[in-house]
Amino acid sequence: MFLLVSKVFALMLAAIVFAKCYVDFRSGTESLKVFLFWTVTWGMIVVIALFPSIIDYILSLAGGRGVGLGTFFGMAIVFLFFIVYRIYVQLEQLEQKLTRTIQELALRDDWRSKHSEPRV
Amino acid sequence: MREPPTVVIVMPAFNEAAVIGTVLSKIPAKIESFNTISIVVDDGSIDLTDEIARKAGAHVIRHMANLGVGAATITGLRAAKQLDAEIIGTMDADGQHDPAELERLVQCLIDGPFDVVIGSRLRSRNGMPLTRFAANLLLNLVTFVVYGKIVSDSQSGFKVFSKQALAAIDLNSSGYEICSEIIGEIYRKNLRYKSVPIRAVYTRYSRAKGQHFLNGINLILGLFIRLMRRT
Repeated sequence: MFLLVSKVFALMLAAIVFAKCYVDFRSGTESLKVFLFWTVTWGMIVVIALFPSIIDYILSLAGGRGVGLGTFFGMAIVFLFFIVYRIYVQLEQLEQKLTRTIQELALRDDWRSKHSEPRV
Repeated sequence: MREPPTVVIVMPAFNEAAVIGTVLSKIPAKIESFNTISIVVDDGSIDLTDEIARKAGAHVIRHMANLGVGAATITGLRAAKQLDAEIIGTMDADGQHDPAELERLVQCLIDGPFDVVIGSRLRSRNGMPLTRFAANLLLNLVTFVVYGKIVSDSQSGFKVFSKQALAAIDLNSSGYEICSEIIGEIYRKNLRYKSVPIRAVYTRYSRAKGQHFLNGINLILGLFIRLMRRT
């Protein structure tokens, strides 16, 4: 029962993410590269959710005995942390750009127009 | 030809319409022999902060969105540089700092001579709530861990800088971390500094406007992220 609920949940999430990615791609807010990346990533998640035995097969290819499900999830968590880190860095850079833009605009519009000898 | 102003007071402000007029009116028109100019950086307020500050005679620079006290301070300091100010002061717009004490800080900077004078609320704790006192001590410790410099009040927004000091320091923080970053720059650029006791005015308004617990957590996280980036 739990496995069935997990499968339905994964499918629903994948459908939502795919729909959002597709709408963003069609409206031009996301590039083809990003659209393909998330489509493939979520496609893999759906396949694994529907056929969990694939993990056993992958683990056997990766070294057979001794590599447990824990190792697989450990690697998945590391990968997720990497994505979170990338998002954090990009968000930080975006925030800095936004800050600099607003500061420049404020100094240009409110300040330099009133002070005759601007020095940057 | 524009006469170069000599003492510029930078005041970052966010929704301070209730008090900013009073605070600005208390800033002395002259400090020592220097003319005083106030720059209010309205950090995306949604009240009448900018209008009231203009009416009170301040130069107002307005951020179109709220960026944080650090970003607003940096904008104000850049404007002060453009005015070729001899001495630059920063103070809070919520009335926590007494503008009458500016004269003492400026006098100390000149007499030292020092590059930076920091108004310290912790050297005489009068009126400061105990929780805030403890939080400030903790932030002094975090500032020491991150920047390697211990000062009596690392989070004070009441400071004066010489023109040379302002030219030397390089600031990037958007939020409350800017106070600690300034301490780091004092240490890194080997600037001469002095902490001078000041009286912090704690009204119900300034307590509500001051740093909250979550801001403190954000501040500590922000400082540790800076530490990780440097290592």
